[in-house]
Amino acid sequence: MDAIDYHALLPEIILAVTVLATLLVDLFTSRKSFAAITAMIGMFASFVAILTLAFCDNLTFCTSTGDRVLFGGSFVVDGYAIVLQGLFIFAGFIVVLMSVGYLETDRYYEGEFYFLIVSAVLGAAVMASSRDFISMIVALEIVSGSGFLLAGWRKGDARSNEASLKFFIIGVLALALLLFGVSLIYGLTGTQVFSEIAAASSSVEDIALFNLGAIFVLLGFGFKVSAVPFHFWTPDVYEGSPPPVTAWLSVGSKGAGFVGLLSVCYLALPSVTEIWGPVLWLVAALSMTIGNIVAIKQTNVIRLLGYSSIAQAGFMLAPFGAAAATGADLSQTFSATVTYLVIYAVMNLGAFAVVIIVGTRVGSYELERWSGLNTWAPGLALSLAAFFMSLAGIPPLAGWFAKFVMFSATIGVGSWWGYSIAIVAALNAVIALVYYLKVLKSAFFDTVPADLDVATLEAGTVPGPTSFAIGLTAAAVLVLGIFPGLAANLGDFSSDFLATLGL
Amino acid sequence: MEFADYLPIALMSILGIGFAGVSIFLSKKLAPHNPTPEKLAPYECGIVPLQDPVIRFPVKFYLVAMLFVIFDVEIVFLFLWAVRMDQFGWVGIGAVVLFMLMLIETLGYVWKRGALDWNVARRARNRRVVAPVATLDEAA
Repeated sequence: MDAIDYHALLPEIILAVTVLATLLVDLFTSRKSFAAITAMIGMFASFVAILTLAFCDNLTFCTSTGDRVLFGGSFVVDGYAIVLQGLFIFAGFIVVLMSVGYLETDRYYEGEFYFLIVSAVLGAAVMASSRDFISMIVALEIVSGSGFLLAGWRKGDARSNEASLKFFIIGVLALALLLFGVSLIYGLTGTQVFSEIAAASSSVEDIALFNLGAIFVLLGFGFKVSAVPFHFWTPDVYEGSPPPVTAWLSVGSKGAGFVGLLSVCYLALPSVTEIWGPVLWLVAALSMTIGNIVAIKQTNVIRLLGYSSIAQAGFMLAPFGAAAATGADLSQTFSATVTYLVIYAVMNLGAFAVVIIVGTRVGSYELERWSGLNTWAPGLALSLAAFFMSLAGIPPLAGWFAKFVMFSATIGVGSWWGYSIAIVAALNAVIALVYYLKVLKSAFFDTVPADLDVATLEAGTVPGPTSFAIGLTAAAVLVLGIFPGLAANLGDFSSDFLATLGL
Repeated sequence: MEFADYLPIALMSILGIGFAGVSIFLSKKLAPHNPTPEKLAPYECGIVPLQDPVIRFPVKFYLVAMLFVIFDVEIVFLFLWAVRMDQFGWVGIGAVVLFMLMLIETLGYVWKRGALDWNVARRARNRRVVAPVATLDEAA
C-alpha cells in the first residue's frame, strides 16, 4: 500500500473533523452560536488548506508538485478539484453566515443545521476530487442526504415537509437512473475509473448499450442540476425549504451536480462527445428558454430565483452542447462552464442573502409586498439591484463575464452546434432581463403597500453575519466584474489538466 | 470446469425453490379447507381491527427500531474488515477504530438528546428547544 498523501487530503480531513466537532460542540455548550462558530472556523481552516494546495509550488514546506493522484486514481487533487472545492467551501461559509440570523428567529434546533451544512460541503468537496463512479456517487449522496434533511427543517410547516419529501423522492429517482447507467458502463468497459473508461470507450463492442448507459448517467445528473425537463421539483423545493437552505441547494447542490456532469463528460467520455453533446445541447436550450419564460410569470421572489437558477443551469450547460462539434476545443468549453459556475455561485448567494433579509422583515416573499423597498431600506435595495443586475449579465458586475466566457466558448468551436446554442442563449439573456428588472422596478419605483408600517421596517436591522455575507459577495461580484481576469484564471487553472490528457 | 463453480448456486436454487414449492403444495393438500370472509382477507400484519383503536401507542418504538438499524448496519462494515484483518494491519485497525469512534459519537448524541430516555415526561422537561413558531408565509 502506498503512503497516503495527507496534505492532499487535508481539506477533507479538516471538514470531516469539523462535522464531528460541530455536533459535539452543540451537545455540550449552552450557547447556540458556538456550533455556527465551530462550523465557520472549520470551513475557514479547510479553505486555507486548499490555498496551500493551490500555491504548493511557492511554499517551502510543500514537497510534492503537480497533480496529486491518490487511491489508485480514484481521488485526484488538480486545478479543477481545487477551484471547485474552494467554491463549495466558500458557498458553505456564506450559507452559514446567512443562516445565523435566520435560525435565531426560529427557536429551533441549530447545531444539527450546521452539522448538516458542513456534511454537505464535505460531500461536495470530495465530489470535486473523485475520479471514479463509486466515490463520486457516495459523495453525491452525502450532498443529497444532507439536502433532504435541510429542506424539511421547518418541521411545523407543511410546505417544508413537502419540499423535503419531493426532494427525497426525486433524488432517489435520479440516483436510481444514475446507478443504472453506471452499471451499464461498468459492464461494458469493465472499469469504473474515469480515465480507464475514457481509454476503453473507443473499443466498446455494444455501442448502443454504452450510449444508453451514458444517457442514463446524464439523466441522473440532469435531475441534480435541475435542468429542463428534469426541473419540475425545483420551484416547490426551493419555496418550501428555509431560504438559507434554498441558497445552498441552488449553489452547492447544483454545483455538485455540475461537477458530476463535468467529470463524467470530460473525463470519462471525452472521446464520445457525439453521445452527450447533442443531448446536453437540447437540455441547455430547453432549460434556458423554459426557465426564463416561466420565471417571468412568478410573483414569489424565491420561486422566481428558482426558475432563474434553472435558466442559469441552461447557460452553464450551453458549452457542453457546443462541445458536440467535431474538433471542438474541449478545454475551452470546460473552462467556460467552471468560470460560469464560480461567478453564478457568488452572485446567487448574494442575491439570496439580500432576499432573506428583506423577506424576513416584510414577512413575505411575495413580490407585491416588496414594492417600495428603496424608500425604507436603500442599502438593501441597492445590493438587491447589484446582484440581480449581475444575474442578468449587465457590466460591470461579474455576471457579464460569465456570459461573455460562455458565448466565446460556444462560438469558438466554429460550427453550428456552437452558433445555434449561442443564438438561443443570446435571446434568453434578453428574456431574463424582463423578470430581473421586474423585481427592481417593484423595489425602486412602486409605492409601499398601505398596510406596511414604514417606520417599523426602517427600524429593523440586518444581522451582523448576514451583512458580512452580503458585503463579501457584493465585493466579489464587483471585483470579478471589473477584473474578469481573476475568474478567467480560475477557469484556466481548472482546465489545465485537460491538456495533459491530450484534449 | 467453469460450470462446476456454479453447482453450489444451482443446488441452493433447487433447494430453495423446492422447499418453498413443497411447503405451499403440502399446506394446500393437508390443511382443512373451511373458508370464512375473515380468513380470506389478505394478511398484512396482525388481526384486522374490529373498530378504530382508541389507545395511542408510543411513537418511540419507531425511534428505537430506527436506531437499531443504524447501529446494526455497522456490523456489515466490521465484518468486511474482520475477514481480512491480518492483511490490513495497523492501518486497518486505525481506520476501524476511527469508524467506531464516529459511531460512539452518534450514540452519545442520541443519548444526550434524550432519544434513549424511556420517560417521556422527563424528556419533554429536559428538551432545550421548542417546536418552530408559525412560519413567515403562514403568518402573512
